[in-house]
Amino acid sequence: MSECIVITSGKGGVGKTTTSANLSVSLAMMGHKVAVVDADIGLRNLDVILGLENRIVYDLVHVIEGECRLKQALIRDKRLENLFLLPAAQTRDKSAVNPEQMRKLVEQLKAEFDYVIIDCPAGIEQGFKNSIAGADKAIIVTTPEVSAIRDADRIIGLVEAAELPEPRLIINRFRQKMVDRGDMLNKDDILEILAIPLIGVVPDHEDIIVSANRGAPVAFDDTSVVGEAYRRIARRVSGEADVPFVALQPVGIWENVKRWMGLSAKAGV
Amino acid sequence: MMELINRVFGSRLGSKDDAKARLKLLLVHDQVDLSPAQLDSMKAEIIEVIGRYVEIDRDSVDFKLERSNGEIALVSNVPVRRVVARAV
Repeated sequence: MSECIVITSGKGGVGKTTTSANLSVSLAMMGHKVAVVDADIGLRNLDVILGLENRIVYDLVHVIEGECRLKQALIRDKRLENLFLLPAAQTRDKSAVNPEQMRKLVEQLKAEFDYVIIDCPAGIEQGFKNSIAGADKAIIVTTPEVSAIRDADRIIGLVEAAELPEPRLIINRFRQKMVDRGDMLNKDDILEILAIPLIGVVPDHEDIIVSANRGAPVAFDDTSVVGEAYRRIARRVSGEADVPFVALQPVGIWENVKRWMGLSAKAGV
Repeated sequence: MMELINRVFGSRLGSKDDAKARLKLLLVHDQVDLSPAQLDSMKAEIIEVIGRYVEIDRDSVDFKLERSNGEIALVSNVPVRRVVARAV
């Protein structure tokens, strides 16, 4: 049975695209057949995060307007043969697509793939409506900041109004050190306010910037704690129960030495 | 080091408490879509009605919208001085 999950947040810059890329990579690494759709028409970025920007010939709008077949627009990942990207158009805008067309597109994709992941644009207008149109489930990404949580709350309301069942939450850019000194909202504070189930906490980490620079999502890096956080989210998404959360304490000198020596950080998380 | 000094002298509360308090208020207002002015006039009217039946301490009336687990409640604490003669 295949499933379409939309990754959304309301606010921009909280990590929707990074989350979409890493969740897709992690699910594909588990052996699932995954299609990830960039629904941010006019401001595409998922191609860059996945390192597939040089392979784009056709895009989502071409498919919807019938200029090419779906299969022609899907780009196979260079590392995982069961991961495919459907890029957004860069020279069009959100009005080029409507929710009904998206619903049909997702249906077509679901016939071929186990998971269809939709990277939703920021905002609550057309792009958001298009993104949730074909989705079965929603994952809300937030950061531990007042503005991001406020927007997440608004989005949760809209997702529920659209009759998507219980959205789940990812807390991104979490900094344990700041939480420890009382300068960042902790997991429980955020859950108390947003009142939806948590599906992952992702530490704020330099690895994310390095992986974006290289076009290789951090989930590929089995020595990275952030990568491990995403891989565990994927396990929860695919239905595995009681997957423990990664340790969020700052990495100590010893961990760095082990990592430098090429030993997996897995033991520590 | 500053952290240690702050901790020793206990001079500073974490800013997360500010964040949480502001968020709670913000989300209630976002959700009910009532301006502070509308909220004030609702408060005045409700106090007016209660005042017809009991004598209340108007200065210490506590009246606020609260949210827990996604649901909003109007929480009010109205100290009663004494019950006035029934008008009705």
